[in-house]
Amino acid sequence: MSTLDDKPKEVSDSGGFAILFFIVGLVASLVVGWVVFPKLLYSQKKQPFDFNHQLHNELVDDGCQSCHFFREDGSYAGVPKLEQCSGCHEEVQGETEDEAVFVNEYVANNREVPWLIYSRQPDCVFFSHAAHVKAGQMDCKTCHGDIGTSTTLKVYEENRITGYSRDIWGKNIAGFKKNTWDRMKMDDCSECHVKLGVNQTSVQTQKGACFVCHK
Amino acid sequence: MKIDRRSFLSLGVGAGAGIALSPLPWKLTDDSSIWTQMWPWTPVPRDGAVNYVNTASTICSGGCGLSVRKIDDRAVKVEGLKGYPGSNGNACIHCMAGIQMLYSPNAVKSPMKRTGKRGEGKWQPISWDEAISETAKKLGELRESGKASTLACILNSDYGTIPALFKQFLNAFGSPNFMRTPSYQDAYEMTLALMHQTDSMAVFDAENADFVLSFGSGIIDGWGSSVRMFKANSSWKEKNVKLVQIEPRLSNTAAKSDQWLPVNPGTELILALGIAHVIITESLYNKDFVEKYAEGFEDWTDNEGNKQKGFKNFVLEGYSPSYAARVTGIEANTIVKLAKDFAGASAPLALCGRGQGTTPGSIHEFMAVHALNALVGNINKKGGIWAMPKPDYIKWEQAKLDDTAREGLKVPRADGAGTEKFPHAKYLLTRLPEVINSAKESPIQALFVSGANPAYTLPDTKAVAKAFASIPFIVSFTSHMDETAEMADIILPNHGHFERYEDIPAPPGYNKPVVGLARPVISPQHNTRHVGDTLIAIAGKLGGTIAESFPWKSYEECLEKTMGENWTSIQESGVITNPDYEAPGWDTAFETSSKKFAFIPGNHNPGNNSLQIPVIEGNDNYRLTLIPYDSMRLAAGPVGNTPFVTKTVSEKVLKGNDICIEINPKTAEKYGLKQGQYAILTTPKGKAKVKTELSPGIMPDIIAMPRGLGHTGIDEYLAGKGININELIGPVEDPASGLDAAWGIKADLVKA
Amino acid sequence: MSKAQEHNKAKKYGMVIDLDKCTGCGACMVACMAENNVPFKKDESDKLLSITWMKVYKLTNGKDFPDADICYLPRPCQHCEGQHSGHSPCVSVCPATATDYSTDTGIVSQIYTRCFGCRYCMAACPYHARHFNWWDPVWPAGMEKMLSPDVSVRMRGIVEKCSFCFHRYQRAKDKAYMEDRRELEEHEYQTACTQACPAGAIIFGDLNNPDHEVHKIAQPDPGHHGRPKNPNAFRLLERLGTNPKVYYLSSREWVRKAGDNYLKTEKINKH
Repeated sequence: MSTLDDKPKEVSDSGGFAILFFIVGLVASLVVGWVVFPKLLYSQKKQPFDFNHQLHNELVDDGCQSCHFFREDGSYAGVPKLEQCSGCHEEVQGETEDEAVFVNEYVANNREVPWLIYSRQPDCVFFSHAAHVKAGQMDCKTCHGDIGTSTTLKVYEENRITGYSRDIWGKNIAGFKKNTWDRMKMDDCSECHVKLGVNQTSVQTQKGACFVCHK
Repeated sequence: MKIDRRSFLSLGVGAGAGIALSPLPWKLTDDSSIWTQMWPWTPVPRDGAVNYVNTASTICSGGCGLSVRKIDDRAVKVEGLKGYPGSNGNACIHCMAGIQMLYSPNAVKSPMKRTGKRGEGKWQPISWDEAISETAKKLGELRESGKASTLACILNSDYGTIPALFKQFLNAFGSPNFMRTPSYQDAYEMTLALMHQTDSMAVFDAENADFVLSFGSGIIDGWGSSVRMFKANSSWKEKNVKLVQIEPRLSNTAAKSDQWLPVNPGTELILALGIAHVIITESLYNKDFVEKYAEGFEDWTDNEGNKQKGFKNFVLEGYSPSYAARVTGIEANTIVKLAKDFAGASAPLALCGRGQGTTPGSIHEFMAVHALNALVGNINKKGGIWAMPKPDYIKWEQAKLDDTAREGLKVPRADGAGTEKFPHAKYLLTRLPEVINSAKESPIQALFVSGANPAYTLPDTKAVAKAFASIPFIVSFTSHMDETAEMADIILPNHGHFERYEDIPAPPGYNKPVVGLARPVISPQHNTRHVGDTLIAIAGKLGGTIAESFPWKSYEECLEKTMGENWTSIQESGVITNPDYEAPGWDTAFETSSKKFAFIPGNHNPGNNSLQIPVIEGNDNYRLTLIPYDSMRLAAGPVGNTPFVTKTVSEKVLKGNDICIEINPKTAEKYGLKQGQYAILTTPKGKAKVKTELSPGIMPDIIAMPRGLGHTGIDEYLAGKGININELIGPVEDPASGLDAAWGIKADLVKA
Repeated sequence: MSKAQEHNKAKKYGMVIDLDKCTGCGACMVACMAENNVPFKKDESDKLLSITWMKVYKLTNGKDFPDADICYLPRPCQHCEGQHSGHSPCVSVCPATATDYSTDTGIVSQIYTRCFGCRYCMAACPYHARHFNWWDPVWPAGMEKMLSPDVSVRMRGIVEKCSFCFHRYQRAKDKAYMEDRRELEEHEYQTACTQACPAGAIIFGDLNNPDHEVHKIAQPDPGHHGRPKNPNAFRLLERLGTNPKVYYLSSREWVRKAGDNYLKTEKINKH
């Protein structure tokens, strides 16, 4: 049992250790927060088989819209259905293993490919491709980036909590973005809408009306 | 180095600072808030291409033309089909909710064989081969034992290829017992058979009428082709066409009419004759028609030299407005004014068939109302009632008969229709339970039921259940577990309403020829089979002349060949119709020997006797009279309510599982009843616990109960809710026709 | 485009319901449920708990037999504009910005994912047009196949209401964009109930557009916050000043009076 006089001395002794422990705690948690956490947060999922956008883009006449087309009613077809692909891929044409997988497992069995969609938004979101591409004359790249020239499909990272793709939040875990296509959160939509004055008719917020992008 | 508490604190603070400076807390907060926005168990409907499939409805009796919205291969919404005759762009509430039947977990998923006792609900799924073999075996035994005529078929219609296939089957098999479920169409067809001597349908040029006198017909409560009648009613509002509604309860039709005349129920016939009296005495009738194109108006002498009283003197002698006023409860001057307004209109139309017309009613009432149309000369005229030929596009070779069939067909019908007693009746299904129950051995040994639910819809359900219990073999073709299916031995499930082809001819009351095409909107969801295919398969199994009577490989082939050159066009447009159809003129319309309209049919002269108001069941110990009422929001026919439709039912009709009975506040006071109280309702047929609903819209001493509740089957969203009024009302045989003329029953209501 | 033209472009979608034509058949309610993924329970007879974006009320004139009369009144969300732009009862009380008024369409939106279920809006709404999800919706096995992807399925703990089928507006806009148009024809955007009404009792369109039927029938008076000039037209609880966009027509005075809690002796105050 120490006396009252002993105490201040010991305190001053442990001051250096306190800073050290502080730094250890800080660094460890920074590592956890910036490196370990993102790895834990997202599960890595592979697409059913690989796909070469660039290769296909060279073979079609109408760019992205050759496969990702608009229907007559203005709705957007999104990822192609088996029927579209099997038009050409009734038989194996190239030499890639991926194509063989596609033809043998999906075309032959008339089974839709369960593609994992990087840009799928939550159900509460209404997004009109027609409004952006047809009326707004935007190109696909503004939101989707350089996917059209990619030669391989990246790993699909699924948020274990929300179930949504990492592309919505963006690769950068801090949420910073350099390009317009780096993130697809509500603020990113809003940023552009505010800039262009799209439907800034909300009585509540004086900004975009909720029903423009929500359903 | 000494690790103490402070070190740990420092570590903790450092870790805290580090975490705060990392994205972890912010990202976790964001993600968990996103997670809470949409629970994983909340369904996310799959998106896809929108496409529409046009079809005609087999769900409602009105024949709605439908356009079903699909997302890829899912049917998501029913809308009206533009340009479809009658319903043009709209659909009734039951068709709109029809997808709930399509995807109902209570659909019959495969052929089933009963394992427990009847009604116990124990079933065993069996294969189609087994099911058909077993059915054919039972039927074969009937034929071998000389009982071919004991097979009966109950359907909800006798137009179209499905009823025709059943008739073909019965003929080839050797039984006369095809039966259609009763409705006001029975009475109208008989009226036309008597007064026009034609085998035709009563249809109405409602849109062009300029004065409508409705004897209790629920014009906007589901009578006729419901959507078409709604549209007609709206057009009347725009054109200021007057609608007079005669009925004891303030129905929706009464509320929307220009004049509501609460009448003592059952006395409508007398009112019609009272109106005729005024028209005749005031000489307001159409002389051209009455003198040149009608017979039986004046007295005449028949071939045997007997004096016969004509319609004129029959009415003048017996049915003065003051007499009519006394009987009907409607003031004499109101009757006089009504008669003058009616006869003074340029296209007056009188129609009858109470509520949705699910009971035939008194034949004399129909004839009296029809006579009103004749007096004003509005038969086969613009805005009037037309007698239109029945659909005749089915031109098959007649069934081939072997000796057994020929013998069987000689046996009179079990229900007595077409016999000496009821020569004009075609089907008298309401008589059948009594016939079976009073016989030692049931004259029906096997029963097929398709598109009908007699165990629920026929009056006096107890008697029906008893009768069905003594039928040894019952086959149901239903796609939903209804009350009749519960009593069946074998269920051979038909494809659902949006999974099959079927021709839908003649929407009730519609005055142009129409054949609509129901077609598959989606592929069958379960192991079901088209009823036509099943019947062809059973015939094939029976072999011989029965098999030969069905020269088609499949129902689709049968339908295609039946439609002939129209097959392509009906597939394209979904309907064959003739919008330019006009009813034949007076000189060619009537098939009596004189080619004239018969005010009093020669072999059916009530003129020398006074008419009798059909009496309902019950004695004076019952203080009240119970009448049924119809609502668009309650399906009272073979198809029950879907969950969406039941959701629209008012809490003043159904509260929890309790059914509410409308009673006049004064009557309630008289018998010590208060609003919303439990009460015991008693009739000669049965007893039920009900709730009181005070309504000033009903005549004193009359109580009203909605039709369409009290199901035991269908699904858990409907079963057990309320009471089926058919448990409390029995049929009343119209002595003149044999049809069910019950419009109510004596009843009592006491506090529970 | 000049400022004035831009102003003219703002829509004010509204409805006129002819109560003389309404038969009370309920087709509008079912069309609405099917269109908007409205859930259903085994017992829906407790109407306080029954979610009905469109509800048909039954009015009675309170008289005895045989003078009794009834009239049906379909009630969607009234999409109130209030006394100044968008100051509707519900929008002004929402602490979550879950319900909003767009001056572009005049439609009051409800964003389910934003709502946290405080139910202030329900208390504020004088029309009982808003409903709370006390339970998670459950579709019997297989019946979730009938759900439409155009409308989000709601969850327990949030408020929902009629949106004037806003997704139909979005769909119509998409089609117009495909055809290189920005403006919609009157018929291109119609609510499910309007389309479904077999009596043709419901008319829908832009109240700001003098060519649209709704404008012609209701004759909204801009000087009096849209009060109808048509003598047979009225709005529910007009005197509260909610400035709703749903107008009703009736040739019966008792019905018009029932629309605004008039005293028996009171005369309808037009201006």
